[in-house]
Amino acid sequence: MTQTRSGSKLVWDTVSYAVLILLAIVCVGPIVWTFLTSIKVEEDIVTRSMVYFPTRFTFENYVKLWSQSSYPTLVTNSLIVTSMTVLICLFTGTVASYSFSRFNFAGRTQLMLAYLIVRMFPAVLMIIPLFIVMRQVGLLDSTFGLAVAYTSFLLPLFVWMLKGFFDSAPKELESAARIDGSTRIGAMFRIVIPIARNGLVATCVFVAIAAWNEYLFALMLTTSQGSRTWPVGLQLMVGEFQLPWGMLAAGGMISILPVIILFAIVQRVMVAGITAGAVKG
Amino acid sequence: MSRVLYTAANPPARSAWEAINPMRMIGELSETRYWMYLLLLPSALLITAVVLYPTLYGIQLSFREMRLNRPALGTDWVLFKHYARMLADPIFWTALRNTAVWVTSSIALEFTVGLIAALALNRNLPGTKVLAVLILVPYFLPNVVAGHMWALMLDPRLGVINDLLVKTGLLTGYKAWFADPSTAMAAAIIVEAWHSFPFFTLLIMAGLKGIPTDLYKAADIDGAGPFAQLRLITLPMLKTIIAAAVILRVIGLVNSPDLLLILTNGGPGRATQVLSLYAFQTAYKDFNFGYAGALSVVMFILLMGFAWAYIRLSKVNQD
Amino acid sequence: MTTNFSRRSVLKLGGGLLAASALLPQHAFAQAKAINYWHTFTSQSEQAGLDAVLALFKAAHPDIAVTPENIPNPEFMAKVTAAVVSGSRPSVTMVASERFKDLLAMGALIDMTDRVAKWERRKDFDDKRFESISADGKVYGVPSFAFVDWMYYRKDWFDEAGIAVPTTLAEMRDAAVKLTNPSKGRYGYGLRGGPGGQNIIINIMEAFGSPVLHADGKIGLDREKAIQAIDFYAGLLTKDHAVPPSAANDGYRQIVEGFQTGQTAMIYHHTGSYQDIASKLKPGVEFGTMAIPAGPATRVARLAYAYNTITKQEDADTAWQWIKFWGEPDAAVAFLEKTGYFPASTVAAQDKRIVGNPMYKAAADTLGFGIPQPSFPGAAGWAESSVLPNFQRVLIGQATPEQAVDEMITALAEATN
Repeated sequence: MTQTRSGSKLVWDTVSYAVLILLAIVCVGPIVWTFLTSIKVEEDIVTRSMVYFPTRFTFENYVKLWSQSSYPTLVTNSLIVTSMTVLICLFTGTVASYSFSRFNFAGRTQLMLAYLIVRMFPAVLMIIPLFIVMRQVGLLDSTFGLAVAYTSFLLPLFVWMLKGFFDSAPKELESAARIDGSTRIGAMFRIVIPIARNGLVATCVFVAIAAWNEYLFALMLTTSQGSRTWPVGLQLMVGEFQLPWGMLAAGGMISILPVIILFAIVQRVMVAGITAGAVKG
Repeated sequence: MSRVLYTAANPPARSAWEAINPMRMIGELSETRYWMYLLLLPSALLITAVVLYPTLYGIQLSFREMRLNRPALGTDWVLFKHYARMLADPIFWTALRNTAVWVTSSIALEFTVGLIAALALNRNLPGTKVLAVLILVPYFLPNVVAGHMWALMLDPRLGVINDLLVKTGLLTGYKAWFADPSTAMAAAIIVEAWHSFPFFTLLIMAGLKGIPTDLYKAADIDGAGPFAQLRLITLPMLKTIIAAAVILRVIGLVNSPDLLLILTNGGPGRATQVLSLYAFQTAYKDFNFGYAGALSVVMFILLMGFAWAYIRLSKVNQD
Repeated sequence: MTTNFSRRSVLKLGGGLLAASALLPQHAFAQAKAINYWHTFTSQSEQAGLDAVLALFKAAHPDIAVTPENIPNPEFMAKVTAAVVSGSRPSVTMVASERFKDLLAMGALIDMTDRVAKWERRKDFDDKRFESISADGKVYGVPSFAFVDWMYYRKDWFDEAGIAVPTTLAEMRDAAVKLTNPSKGRYGYGLRGGPGGQNIIINIMEAFGSPVLHADGKIGLDREKAIQAIDFYAGLLTKDHAVPPSAANDGYRQIVEGFQTGQTAMIYHHTGSYQDIASKLKPGVEFGTMAIPAGPATRVARLAYAYNTITKQEDADTAWQWIKFWGEPDAAVAFLEKTGYFPASTVAAQDKRIVGNPMYKAAADTLGFGIPQPSFPGAAGWAESSVLPNFQRVLIGQATPEQAVDEMITALAEATN
């Protein structure tokens, strides 16, 4: 019995490695290719015989990108919008999600659906009325206005996802705390949220990525350099009569960088959260 | 956070400061009957303020005549004119069919790959932490970048994928994937799945961490195999998370035309024309906001119907 | 517009946001002498050209601050639409001629007739230059530079095969067939069947005798002639196989790359891409330029102008200073030097850098017989959402030319009814 189990463990371990390595190649391959493209000279990109490993390198694309597209401003704007979005979601969404997960009240299902329905109306047509609203309240062309718009669309995502994580956090600990005399809010902050910390971080990562990558609203609701975000700046490089493959690839590489750094930090927190949760549980 | 634990059973002595201490007031508030609604208030207010008006505006547009480049037509109420036109519009039906294919295939592919990756990563084998980061990278790319990157790789002249397929003998010559109606949609779906499957991986991975290991130990003792464990423990435990993820992705896929806009723009012919793209073009190329509004309302209703049916069928909201 | 609909209630809810917005930097267009300029320049050369004009303008008008704001070309109309509907218009907007009628109809443009008539440099411009920006005797903009339709061909291949430069579409087709050699990976013609290809298709239909906008202002296609045109043009792929099979998804980028990498012998574009082609192939040796060949009915080569227009009444006087500055020969030549884009002013177009360059001869000739693009409200939308996809269906064998033209006619009626 033990032998077959370790035998089957070996089989599944091998399968896991094979699957993961294959997937990693599929996922990273295009990005490696983008990187290679970004350091190639133009003649090696637009060519009839594929150049796999360039013999001539250039970092000119990165230099041009840096000097031409005002990258630092654009990225700073993106960072501001993203952090504001995550913070607003965190403050308003966590408690809402907790409420949906822990209380059984009249209209709960309907309200949850209502949160979801908010995301369902096609953005294409919401842009113009949203534009009008933003202009009325003076938030047009500002990073804060963009963050508010993002939040309203990402809150449903945040609340629904986090509810799943709250649901899977055991209710017994909370009940025990309540019996010990903790207030509801005390139990929420001291027991439930720490247990669901992984989920909270994962959810924030999603919201952050969605805000970081958003294009359509950013394009429509901002105009000036002072509030424009990075994806819009990137799209602007694709000219009408110009083929900036190298620069586009360099832009792609640079745009992943901050997200990967963020994710590396977050992953450490996530791992720490898991261990902490295990100790407490 | 205040470190002092106020409890209902052991109220602290009241000083003047204590009477107005906000932490204490909130603590007391949390014991009232309306607490669950109060928790919802901030998010509900925010959503209402930003989304309600644009949505209502969009819905009322669908019952009006509104063509920005034909001001002479006015903006009168036309009731169901746009909806009637839609029924007779062959492009609408093509787009509806394409949307169904685009959404179901993408979701199926993304969910399957996402689940497999999450299960494999959850085994915590040595060295897989690095692989986890690599696998999640596509999701970090903006749509704009992912779209252009794949357009270059699948290019009929400069595309490395064509070159690889020719070198390995799978193709005899470079193929124009997006110029052939039989491959355009499939190629777009693969790009979409590549870009978005990590969404499922990350969510399912986080969900898997929350499943108590005792359950699996018990199942092992009962002699349940890995597939039985997946069916009887893993998937039921992840029910809410999967449901939320599927619904959110479906909404994203139905509503956002970004990727197809870059890759095919609905072509060749109308082979990849989907509803979101059609509504976008109707509004911003034809300036027919009334008809675009009607298309949007139909998409909205379809999504609501889907979400309602899905939640019913998967019994997510029953404890 | 019915913007009052429930706006009040939204505003109440949004009151908190209003308070927060006070903390943020507001747009500083408060002073009367500051304007913003919406344009679609993107490439490095275009950006350099704009910078050069801006620098000259700053020297001439130190009291006026121009803030250029670039808008991605594909989303240009969406952005302008939102700005007009919500009343947050830019001071000056760059308008391509095919967008004029739509923008005029939605009330985005401000009448400039009097200003233009009194302008001291008006005489530098041919009357024809203002045709595509005028309606009902009123002028709404000033041309800033021009795109002249022409074709690029592989001079070395033509010489090698001993083929003369085609002057008619029939000759062009023969040349394309002769130069096609699949074993060498060579095709005679790079057909733009993807994004942007719609305008060429409309030109070919007109060259076959089926204009979409008639001299008397009527709109409609001549079914038989349009079918012949579609049959001829799509036939380059479906019957003659003289076009790369990727045609249905080939946009500007693909046709230019195909030409640059020696896949195709001819492509149809305008003067705006000259720098791009010349950066890869040797002008006059590897490639040449030719005027658009004539069709059976007429010769259709477009002269398209980019116009600068006033889009906000409040700072119209300041805006006018900036708009008319583009007509100064100094500015036009500085722009040409950076971009290669043709000046719109006749005086500036006689600059020796243009007259003396044999590669520009085709364009200079075309200025004689070139015609403006057909422009009516809904034209651009019809071209993009009906002409192009229906043509693509013929290319990929999902429709006959008859079916495609019938659908185009139905859609045209719907777009203009």
